[in-house]
Amino acid sequence: MSSFNLNVNGAVHAVDLDDNTPLLWALRDTLGLVGTKYGCGIGECGACTVLLDGEAVKSCGLSLKKVGSAKVTTIEGLARGGKLTAVQQAWCKLDVPQCGYCQGGQILCATALLAAKPRPTDADIDSAMSGNFCRCASYTRIRQAIHAAAGQPTAAS
Amino acid sequence: MSVPSPSVAPVLDRRGFIKIGALAGGGLLVGTYFRFGAASALAETAPAAVASFAPNAFISIAANGTVTLIAPNSEMGQGAKTALPMIIAEELDVPWDKVTISQGDLNPAYGRQAAVGSGSTPGNYGPLRQAGATARAMLVEAAAQTWGVPAAECTTENGAVLHRASGRHLGYGELAAKAATLPVPADVALKDPNDFKLLGTRVPGVDNEKIVTGQALFGIDQTLPGMVYAAYVKCPVFGGKVASANVDEVKKLPGVRDAFVLDGINGLTPGVAVVAGSTWLAFTAAQKLKIQWDQGPGVSQGSEAMAKQAEAFGQADPGAAVPAGATAIEAAYHYPFLAHATLEPQNCTALFKNGVMEMWCPTQVPSAGQRSVTQGLGLAARDVVVHVTRLGGGFGRRGSNEFSLEVAAIAKRLEGTPVKLTWMREHDFAHDNYRSNGWHFFRAGLDSAGKVVALHDSFVKMQGGPGDMTGGGFPFNAVPGSQVQSNKLSGTIPTGYWRAPGDNGNTWATQSFVDELAHAAGRDPIDFTLGLLAAVPGAGAPGGPAGARGGRGGGGFVPAKMEAVLKLAAGKAGWGKKLPRGQGQGFAITHTNNAYVAVVADVTVSQQGVLRIQKLTAVVDAGLIVNLSSAEAQVQGAMLDGISAAWFQKITIEAGAAAQVNYDDYPLLRIDNAPPAVEVHFVKSIAPPTGLGEPGLPPAAPAICNAIFAATGKRIRTLPIADQDLKWA
Repeated sequence: MSSFNLNVNGAVHAVDLDDNTPLLWALRDTLGLVGTKYGCGIGECGACTVLLDGEAVKSCGLSLKKVGSAKVTTIEGLARGGKLTAVQQAWCKLDVPQCGYCQGGQILCATALLAAKPRPTDADIDSAMSGNFCRCASYTRIRQAIHAAAGQPTAAS
Repeated sequence: MSVPSPSVAPVLDRRGFIKIGALAGGGLLVGTYFRFGAASALAETAPAAVASFAPNAFISIAANGTVTLIAPNSEMGQGAKTALPMIIAEELDVPWDKVTISQGDLNPAYGRQAAVGSGSTPGNYGPLRQAGATARAMLVEAAAQTWGVPAAECTTENGAVLHRASGRHLGYGELAAKAATLPVPADVALKDPNDFKLLGTRVPGVDNEKIVTGQALFGIDQTLPGMVYAAYVKCPVFGGKVASANVDEVKKLPGVRDAFVLDGINGLTPGVAVVAGSTWLAFTAAQKLKIQWDQGPGVSQGSEAMAKQAEAFGQADPGAAVPAGATAIEAAYHYPFLAHATLEPQNCTALFKNGVMEMWCPTQVPSAGQRSVTQGLGLAARDVVVHVTRLGGGFGRRGSNEFSLEVAAIAKRLEGTPVKLTWMREHDFAHDNYRSNGWHFFRAGLDSAGKVVALHDSFVKMQGGPGDMTGGGFPFNAVPGSQVQSNKLSGTIPTGYWRAPGDNGNTWATQSFVDELAHAAGRDPIDFTLGLLAAVPGAGAPGGPAGARGGRGGGGFVPAKMEAVLKLAAGKAGWGKKLPRGQGQGFAITHTNNAYVAVVADVTVSQQGVLRIQKLTAVVDAGLIVNLSSAEAQVQGAMLDGISAAWFQKITIEAGAAAQVNYDDYPLLRIDNAPPAVEVHFVKSIAPPTGLGEPGLPPAAPAICNAIFAATGKRIRTLPIADQDLKWA
């Protein structure tokens, strides 16, 4: 057991957990931030994606020891003051979610992509987003929503 | 997918559920919310009487005008939580942006609460229209009496009753108290579907904002005060049980509250439960279990031996004689077991307190989960309260409810403490009810004119579970004297409903073989199929022949509808282009869950054998479209799901257990392999809607495989495609 000061969504949380506890489970079971999802536990599916200092990372294999003082943003922390980001708005408007389970991870990954490349091509999107499964295969609309959030016209569906 | 009908009163027999009473304070109606089972042990008790108009279990209109509609069926991505209330809102004439949607718990008043077989929409369409129209008629009557005018002079619009002649109007909220005093009419007029304003439009999912902000919605997100976390470990070999386990050692691990063996419970697969202070602690403790398994006879099973058994069936079967002078064409097709691999692993939360088991279940069939708990633990149905959460994918997996009984058995031992059971991903792959493997040994005869004069299929699958073949579907119904022989493997691998059961594999095999026949006959494959459709008895008749079936979809198969979607798809996709080697078009059709679907695929295959799907074009006749947005998404997703499975996935059985343990050896389609263009077109129709969760899936894989053949001359007869060499020179 060790004490950690986790910087999550702009607030510091003191938690006492085993060093090897993955960030995923500290978020879900200790801090009650259940928007970060468990899918595979081996970094294959991307449902547990969070932003670590703005980079999209998979939290299921990221021990608290490694998180250190980095700034963690979860899907709960994306909207500020109740205002959805452009990515979140595009996701709602284009009705991207089917079951919705992967979509928090998809949105965070898309957010990191757009921060790095404000006007991504389809190839950029495929390359940046290929670490995140959607079991419902909502990929057609994910591409459209990223273009929409970037303010680019989307190909007709 | 067939599921036993719940033994409940029909929805429209409302009188049994209607209670009207006077309220203190002069309000005149009482919420008729009927809570099934005992009052919640933890949450709020049954809602107290509120001043609202609730003419049936689905609708509640408060005096302040708030309209609450119940979504009776589970939401797993198919859009039922949005589409079903839309049906009520259409007939009720309330503006969609003013209604609140509430997910229905298990409650007999809601009728058919089984989200299976693409049945939510067709099963609820009539009853929910009736529910909305009944409430609307009562509000009209309330206004007419208030104004002293005939009801026939009143109309409704946007949640209000209007009397145009006098320019008066009253909102539904203002009418709620009076409407509540009126008798429920037995017979009300429904709208003409041509006048629908809401149905057929694009309506985003009602939970979208909660999803994109990460709010707790799913079963796995349930959190209760004082909750503990459980893992449950079962024998990897199907049918095995626990001989002994080091539970005393594991109990001493930090954070572990308890560990125990569960066995001897009716319907429960025996195993070892570990209960801890977090999911992570439960998982890590479960990995430290040392369990001696009594593996049982199942350990002798393996995919290789099954293949040999299937081959023996194929060889033993003499098949139909091919007439003299006809060319015999034979081909063997094989598809493997599949896992459902829902991204949310199986889970369930329960609290046993004061004799009541209160549960939060991500289930497609809540009544089945309840039944497993009553039968397994000897509780009365009224003492098993089932709340339905959102499901992180269903695909048929959550029609079976092992997780419900498992967590209930654990919760019963920990009386008074809420428990959340989460399956580790590895356990989810190891203990699925898999899509059965299958083999088709086809033999056909083509006469000198290229006509199919004989067709025989010797089919083999795992015994038990859905997915059998009968001879009634297309193309067998197009060939007089055709035969389908169905054979079963004697193993005990658990199989179950997987999106579009039966059709998900059998349509791939039959539609691929028809394509082979077309090429053997030297015909354009679409012309060839149109010729076969014309040979189905009753072809040309708009209503189709009585009793003819296509696929397993039930209902009458109407060849003319199939023909129409196929011709439309050919046109939309630009079928018949001359393409260079390495590029190909293929198509396939299905009649699944009573919907008609044609899919055309455009693919490229590099000389090195790299497959790219360039475009999918689907044309669908699913009757009236309720929500265009989710309907389109379902067809897009179902096609890609079918391709994902056919391209990459297989579960192999080794020594009685599943060999694949996680997504690294059971890959899903990723965005970089998703086609850049996916087009979905719906045939305009006001016929009652079919469901759409499944019908888009079966034709996608054969369309791809037929396109690969067109591009390369390579015929895929064994899935997954990724195991085949597509190189060409």
